[in-house]
Amino acid sequence: MTLPLLSVKNLVVEFRTGEGIVRAVNNISFDIPHGKTIGIVGESGSGKSVTSLAVMGLLQKPAAVIPQGEIFFNGVDLLKCNENEMRKIRGNQISMIFQEPMTSLNPVFKVGEQIAEAIRIHKNVSNKVAWEKAVHLMNLVGIPNPSASAHKYPHEMSGGQKQRVMIAMAISCDPKLLIADEPTTALDVTIQKQVLELLHKLQQDLNMSMMFITHDLGVIGDIADDVVVMYRSNVVEQNNAQEIFTKAIHPYTKGLLACRPKLGANPRRLLTVSDFMTEEGVEKTVPVERIQIFDKESEVIKTDHVLLEIQNLVTQFPIKGGLFGRTVDHFKAVDDVSFKIKKGQTLGLVGESGCGKTTLGRSILRLVEPSAGKIIYDGKDITHVQHEELRLLRKKMQIIFQDPYSSLNPRMTIADILMEPLNIHNEGGTKAQRYEMARALLEKVGLKASLMNRYPHEFSGGQRQRICIARALMLRPEFVICDESVSALDVSIQAQVLNLLLDLQQEFGLTYVFISHDLSVVNFIADEVGVMYAGKIIEMDKASNIYKSAKTEYTRALLSAIPKGETKQSLASLV
Amino acid sequence: MKQNSLWKDAFFRLAKDKLALFSLVIVLIYFLVALLSSMGLLASTWSQEVGASNLPPSLEHLFGTDIFGRSVLQKVIRGTQVAMSVGVAASIIAIPIGVLLGAFAGYFGGWIDDFVTWLYTTFSSVPNIMLLISITLILGKGIFAVYIALGATSWVTLCRLIRGEVMKHKEREYVQAAGAIGGGHMRKLFRHILPNVSHIIIINTSMQFQIAIKSEVILSYLGLGVQGEPSWGTMIDDAKLELVRGVWWQLAGATVAMFFILLAFNILSDALRDALDPKLKGK
Repeated sequence: MTLPLLSVKNLVVEFRTGEGIVRAVNNISFDIPHGKTIGIVGESGSGKSVTSLAVMGLLQKPAAVIPQGEIFFNGVDLLKCNENEMRKIRGNQISMIFQEPMTSLNPVFKVGEQIAEAIRIHKNVSNKVAWEKAVHLMNLVGIPNPSASAHKYPHEMSGGQKQRVMIAMAISCDPKLLIADEPTTALDVTIQKQVLELLHKLQQDLNMSMMFITHDLGVIGDIADDVVVMYRSNVVEQNNAQEIFTKAIHPYTKGLLACRPKLGANPRRLLTVSDFMTEEGVEKTVPVERIQIFDKESEVIKTDHVLLEIQNLVTQFPIKGGLFGRTVDHFKAVDDVSFKIKKGQTLGLVGESGCGKTTLGRSILRLVEPSAGKIIYDGKDITHVQHEELRLLRKKMQIIFQDPYSSLNPRMTIADILMEPLNIHNEGGTKAQRYEMARALLEKVGLKASLMNRYPHEFSGGQRQRICIARALMLRPEFVICDESVSALDVSIQAQVLNLLLDLQQEFGLTYVFISHDLSVVNFIADEVGVMYAGKIIEMDKASNIYKSAKTEYTRALLSAIPKGETKQSLASLV
Repeated sequence: MKQNSLWKDAFFRLAKDKLALFSLVIVLIYFLVALLSSMGLLASTWSQEVGASNLPPSLEHLFGTDIFGRSVLQKVIRGTQVAMSVGVAASIIAIPIGVLLGAFAGYFGGWIDDFVTWLYTTFSSVPNIMLLISITLILGKGIFAVYIALGATSWVTLCRLIRGEVMKHKEREYVQAAGAIGGGHMRKLFRHILPNVSHIIIINTSMQFQIAIKSEVILSYLGLGVQGEPSWGTMIDDAKLELVRGVWWQLAGATVAMFFILLAFNILSDALRDALDPKLKGK
């Protein structure tokens, strides 16, 4: 048997913090054979990124300590190497791609120079040779017109192209091992698919090994040979990809597989990790009614009452130019959009970044002023209402934002945050009654009432999003816009929040506009789906129809780009 | 179960920094001395003759005596009172102006922003000391003129910082969320944005305080500051001629007193920035 390229044995990583020692990686072992791709899956905080940093020797010392373990790379224990030896290996034999292409490139240098620099650090070649190699690499990673593109600055490129540049830099010295840490998480699905295909092709062509880190099992299925599942600093399961998807053993893996909404049929409520195991990691049996496939067609439409109607809505932003900043042109973020939503229904809006879906949501709420068209809410034209009327409207229409980290005021307690809407509208009686209402709603969204006096930074992303949902519901609105409300969350948390949104819709009779870039999520939650492209809704139909028989080329491209990993997996085999 | 606001967290971070705590204690001692002196409990006899002229430091007269036989120690204490009062007065004038103008400019933009920007660029384009001199010339010499002059010049930095930070925060989703639940401009600005930029006020005040102290010393040295009262600036001015005769203690008293408060404020400002500025957290 040949030696694997990388072999991690009994690795332990601990962090010394003000509160004591935190074990981030607990006694894990895995191998990466030559020419294979290993996927490491786990939610945020599970220790997957720390593992990759340990391999790269990039852990922040002295906060991080490795009390135990070995990392063999080509027979050399990396943990015993000094900084000089590591520097020769890092970037040369092992290289890394990071999650955020927007900030990983230096904005003041041309991309060609940055790739050439990576080459010149490790190889003794002239500037000219390095530049030519850089152009060659850019061609290899599929950047159109490489010799001209090499002269571009990072801000002149799209997110997908920047990630390609990062990949070009990473493979510039023909590394034996490529570590990719969530390389596609920040990208749109269609771009994600292209980048995944590129990575797979490069790995095959250059005969590299790859360590692919992600929180999304769906992505792993497309790229990895073997999968390592991490949960709370431990490796809970490792096997080859096919086996993981068909015969998952550990309840956490089963939960991860089940919690991502499918493009086809879904149960009424999504399964979550907590359906498969208890907090302590003990396996549970899944109740049968949870996994029954739910047929949306069979559900009778509750009402025919049209709650919201949008007619030919246009929202445009001025483009300033010239010496005195005159308005030279307008950019139409929302371009002639019309639709209707019936009460109690969910409209899904799907599109890639920059398609205008967020501006559309804000325009409906009048957080951004529309330039033309009409917004009719409950039979009343609200396009131009002002002051007091607009304030009253805010009681009925609410929004849940994307980023749970920036949408809560860090200087206010949860109680203050939840009671503020009541204070503004002078509702809910005395202070004690308002507090009681806030407490009740906090429990309804699944958080303990004892957390009322905490501050936002003490909560996780999923918990914060629950608080945002509670805040939006304090005034008992009829209509809620969810703007990418689950996109920033781990898949397992995402499923819980989606279930919560469904429960609340039933209980309070809410009407949702659900904005997302993720078609599978929209398919799960929406009754009707509108596909947006360049400010227009190019296709609109019942959710099931969109997925069965999309009419436009663009929708079909979006659909085919969704990672299919777990669709090989039938729900039945999970029981 | 601990419930930590960001303020508490920041205080604990500050408390871990021993040097900063020591500086804070020094600053508080200076404030105490200034307070006692202004209440007449300390150095109330500074204008009386306590011994012979120009006595060197001794156990009886710790800092020696000046040319009129007055206690240099008592003059240094009166000078501390003047210096600290200038810092406090300048802050009281500068903080409301700087915060309000900066907040309105950053939040509303448009012509308000244009006006405020024009105002502070005008102020900052004139060299500070020239502006101070012209204000004291208009208002007449004296400590009151120094208060006004320093207050009128030290709001500029604060205003600029607050404006920038408010512009950044008004785009944040928590502010939009406040708008979505029906909150008006004033609520968004004063209840949501300002508490999140208020660390700037604290850090900046700590820095402006030492600038105010230095400016008062310079003005008084130039004869444009306090009149008829001892100030570190006038003491240094007096010492100019005495030095050739070997009378060094008046100069030493004033500069040592000034040195410690300025150093303490410098260290404290840095520590406050480390503890309060969210951008530097975890470093």
